[in-house]
Amino acid sequence: MTDLVKENILLNAVTSAFKIEGKVIRDRRVEVHADKNTVSSILLFAKKQLGYIHMNHMTCIDWIEQGEFELVYTIYHPVDKLTLFVKTRIDREIPVMENIDTIWDHANTYEREMREMFGIEFPGLVGEHDFILEDWDQIPPMRKEFDTHKYAAETFYTRPGREDAKDVREELSKRSGTVVPDFAKKYSRE
Amino acid sequence: MENDKNSQKIVDYIGNFARKHSLFVLAYGTGCGAIEIPATMTSRYDAERFGIRGAATPRQADVLLITGYLSTKTLKRVIRVYEQMQEPKYVIGFGSCTVNGGMYYDSYNTINGLDQYIPVDVYINGCMPRPEAVISGFVKLQELIMAGKANNGEKYRENLEHYRSNQKKIIKNWKMPDYNW
Repeated sequence: MTDLVKENILLNAVTSAFKIEGKVIRDRRVEVHADKNTVSSILLFAKKQLGYIHMNHMTCIDWIEQGEFELVYTIYHPVDKLTLFVKTRIDREIPVMENIDTIWDHANTYEREMREMFGIEFPGLVGEHDFILEDWDQIPPMRKEFDTHKYAAETFYTRPGREDAKDVREELSKRSGTVVPDFAKKYSRE
Repeated sequence: MENDKNSQKIVDYIGNFARKHSLFVLAYGTGCGAIEIPATMTSRYDAERFGIRGAATPRQADVLLITGYLSTKTLKRVIRVYEQMQEPKYVIGFGSCTVNGGMYYDSYNTINGLDQYIPVDVYINGCMPRPEAVISGFVKLQELIMAGKANNGEKYRENLEHYRSNQKKIIKNWKMPDYNW
């Protein structure tokens, strides 16, 4: 096990420059939590000053209970082999986030996907509104309040014969005599 | 066509015999099932001994092989491809996704049940069907052709309204050319 020297240097560099919180997840993985207004400055700082020249990925998580979207920017240092996660939370009701495709061009693709799948607006984002879906007229499908099972049952033809399909979780708990935990019950079919 | 003795006419028999032994499959891979096609075609399973081989364009092909799940976006392309094919034309639904949606039965973007949108001659179940199953499906199709029962192109033309209404339910913004039947 390494003693995480590089990771702590990186964490200190970013957190002291922007007065934000963060932690070392494990070796080669560091995460920082930033306000949505400072994200682009952090990314630019990491790119120009620290050498995190590559953006691996940019993704979104729907925290419906807290009423927030979490955006995660994953950037990579090809010499130090370190990965930095910049995480930020934005309001779920007014999902607007700064467009960063001036820093990395390929962020455009991820932002278009998020615009389509979560309905997050990026002011100044250039690109067709239809990215993967065509003629979509419902709420964005990756939002958690979108009931995909109900939508599929209404839209697509269901062939008879799936009625005897068993719920794997409940069958296993019956067979082994254990109890399904409460947090898992809301995902069962009944 | 049937003669007065309730069997096939000689000329149909000869035609069906020829069709049965030259099934040209459109090289159109949807979903994950397309990975089984190289294995079926190449030396170990060698589908060409049954007369099954690839065709480059829809107008040269006899068989449309739907290999796996169909997203609504792909369905649009599949319908166009199917309508461009010349009769006689056959469709093989491949894998459980085409039968009832498979593991994507509750997905917002994949269809369940291919035969609501285009007529299907043979279904091959399995996830994934192995090359033996694929060849067995083709042999079943050959039997249907030989018996003169594989005339789904005609069925599609006759029930075009039914299929169109189902297709338009999925594809809301319908901007497709009308082919000359």
